[in-house]
Amino acid sequence: MPRPGKVALHEGFLRHKSFRWLKIALVISLIAILGYALIDVTPRPNGGSPYGYTLGTIGVLLILWLSLLGIRKRAMTRGRWSLKAWTSAHVYLGLSLIVIATLHTGFQFGWNVHTLAYALMMLVIFSGLYGITVYAAIPGYLGTNREEMTQTQMLDALRAIDRQLHDAAQPLTQRQAELVRHSLEQDPFGGGLIARLSGRYPRCATLRTFDTIRERTGSRPDIGDDPLERVDALLERKLAMLAQLRRHLRLKAMLEIWLYVHVPFTFALIAALTAHIVSVFFYW
Amino acid sequence: MTFLLRQISFTADHREIIRTTKIDRDAVTIGRGAENDIALPDLAVDPRHARIERHDDRRIVIVALGTLGFEIDGRTVKRGEIDAAKGAELGFGGHRITVTRDADGQIILTVARVGAISDTAAEREEATAYSLKGLLPGKRLTAWLLVAAVLLGFLAWPVWSYLHRDRDDTRSIYALKADHRWSSGPLSQAHHALEGKCEACHVKAFVSVRDDSCKACHKDVHDHAPPVRLAGARAAPDFTGRMLAKVAQTFGKPGAGACVDCHTEHEGAGPMPPTPQAFCADCHGSLKARLADTKLGNAGDFGASHPQFRPLIATVPGDTPVLARASLDRLPTEHNGLKFPHRLHLDTRGGVARMAQTMKARNGFGDALVCVDCHKPSADGVRFLPVRMEQNCQMCHSLGFDRIGGTVRTLRHGDVPQMIADLRATYRSNPPSGPGPGDRRRPGVYAPGQVYHAYFGPGGRPSNADAAIRAVFTKNGACFDCHVVTPPGIGVGEGGGAADWTVLPVHQPMRYMMHGWFDHAAHRTEKCESCHSARQSSSADDLILPGIKTCRTCHAGESATAKVPSGCAMCHSYHADAGAPWMPSNTRARIRSLPIAVPATRSP
Repeated sequence: MPRPGKVALHEGFLRHKSFRWLKIALVISLIAILGYALIDVTPRPNGGSPYGYTLGTIGVLLILWLSLLGIRKRAMTRGRWSLKAWTSAHVYLGLSLIVIATLHTGFQFGWNVHTLAYALMMLVIFSGLYGITVYAAIPGYLGTNREEMTQTQMLDALRAIDRQLHDAAQPLTQRQAELVRHSLEQDPFGGGLIARLSGRYPRCATLRTFDTIRERTGSRPDIGDDPLERVDALLERKLAMLAQLRRHLRLKAMLEIWLYVHVPFTFALIAALTAHIVSVFFYW
Repeated sequence: MTFLLRQISFTADHREIIRTTKIDRDAVTIGRGAENDIALPDLAVDPRHARIERHDDRRIVIVALGTLGFEIDGRTVKRGEIDAAKGAELGFGGHRITVTRDADGQIILTVARVGAISDTAAEREEATAYSLKGLLPGKRLTAWLLVAAVLLGFLAWPVWSYLHRDRDDTRSIYALKADHRWSSGPLSQAHHALEGKCEACHVKAFVSVRDDSCKACHKDVHDHAPPVRLAGARAAPDFTGRMLAKVAQTFGKPGAGACVDCHTEHEGAGPMPPTPQAFCADCHGSLKARLADTKLGNAGDFGASHPQFRPLIATVPGDTPVLARASLDRLPTEHNGLKFPHRLHLDTRGGVARMAQTMKARNGFGDALVCVDCHKPSADGVRFLPVRMEQNCQMCHSLGFDRIGGTVRTLRHGDVPQMIADLRATYRSNPPSGPGPGDRRRPGVYAPGQVYHAYFGPGGRPSNADAAIRAVFTKNGACFDCHVVTPPGIGVGEGGGAADWTVLPVHQPMRYMMHGWFDHAAHRTEKCESCHSARQSSSADDLILPGIKTCRTCHAGESATAKVPSGCAMCHSYHADAGAPWMPSNTRARIRSLPIAVPATRSP
């Protein structure tokens, strides 16, 4: 049991120091909103007013600091500026950027470099929000699905089934052997990004092989020594194993996919910010 | 002739095991089935796949027995012949059979499995296989591509297009221009034609927009006041103001008083919004404190801090009246040269009302006279035209004095010598006949075709011209009743006054507030009496202009909760001229569409 006053080791970055950074982010957002409401910018609020420039400067500094997490995370430390504290601040200050940057726009949007930077920023923030959500939800599902198997074990199980399938299919006719070979040659990791994320593999070779073999075996009694029956049973086992593996792959893909948006688009955002700031001063 | 069969397999730790079998026949069969000489446990191999026949010392023929072929040195065939001395490599499914001949002339068939029995069996990097690597372009590559695309499209291209633009760019404003992607918002209506022509205002890169750019087109806009006065009038900024000014200066923004100080652009299509009150109040709110000699009172907010109106009025009447400004607080009077009691004319029960009633059909009067019966608005509705004898008075105040046939002769209005000459000419021939000068007017006989008469005063019709002239110019005479008349020889000046009767010119200004704009059309929702207390005025000298208090019943400062929040720009122009202050066209349109309380003309 953790002693009072001592931080429990399992406290995640979201709850770090009882939501210290959430509170800080809320205060920053509130101040920004209050300033926006109280300062009367004429003729209409815009990023080019003194308050607009202030919010913009805060926003760009925040973005640069937030993007430094990529460098910071490679060095794990403890203490006040532990990686956990840093990540907690990254999440909550990142979210407060929604308020700061939106107020900076003064709700003026258009087909221009300024709105591009804003849109990229929102994309990065919302991909991050998605990331937090899946980090909170998916590990549980992953554990349930694995049934105490490691990734290596899952692959080994498939290999074992494949070896047995190969042996069991030796007495089969050429046509049936060909079908089994399709299943054997199927890449369990194949199927592309969409299949990974949806978990649907409509053109699965093993499933088709199984369906065709089942048509033959389904209507006749299992007398015990028919090689086709053995193949049928093995294919059924392989399908079950594949389903588990694919669920695993799907959950892993959902855990990973957001980083393919979050990271590259952060760089795109910094590029767009550069263009945004240069353009403002270029046509000053 | 024998075949030497060498079957190679691997242990779990990749050690090679070779089993050698001798087959003493001229032909061997290959297939998946166990009955074959060379049994290959391979699902890609037919149960009876092929036969290898040895024809002589060197020649070997391989024939496929089923539908599937095999490979000789990588080429798929159904039948093939090889020279054993030269050797060959045969492929059956996942197996490879190398054909060689040893020194003793034995054909050696080396069988080895080369393909994995299944895809899963193949070695793979698990960390990669279980991740999205390979399914998506790498993060680093995507990042670089996106960065390059954004920097090229939104930075390099616009800069390039700025540097390589024709001096005389005649492209349409809708043509694709890279630097237009930098525009933070549409330009206002007036500047719409400059859309996409960034360099029209942003002349030099990294130099903020200067007044010169504005003045290139707006050539006739003059300064609000001389620059020295402007500089003296500006209030010293507070701490925040000083800080902001310092920042602005650091970034090269033009100082106070620049065009862009008030006129901001890229704030959205449509009319440019009016300049906010604060821009004026900054200086005028406490102007007296800084410009001691100014004649202007402090004005910061119409509702709370604005001096009383000071209309320009004629203090001395005449051909060229002496004009001076006077505060309405001092209840000034203006001698405009007329004797006109408004009260008498607007009285709902007196003789005027009675007379109006008799003229309802012809002149469209009501039960009594109202303002609009005599005062006609100008074409733009902003002001009222001067009252004219011929159009606005003569329908009642007849100048008729004689009748020739069916035509009534009238005294000439506005030209005293001609009028005198006319009268003399009349008496020189035949004195006026019929009900002529001298009769009292009777209500009801003023319709066209009826006999008219000028009012020559009591005492009957004059018997000669001089008497008639004197009669119209003296008390109860037609001229004297309304005008200030000077008899011959009276007054100051050379020769002790004029040689003949004179009438003081009437001064009827259409505008009293020369530095503020008042638009009667915008006040159509109000009745005339709401502001002008004409019914109580019994002297033409009364200046029945409303004071600021009356205005404030509806108007107050820009951010007030009054019926009509009114910024300075509603009545005043910064770049003041004789015209109306600028107003967004949508505001103007809204004012135009207001309901009318009093019709500008009375319908018959």
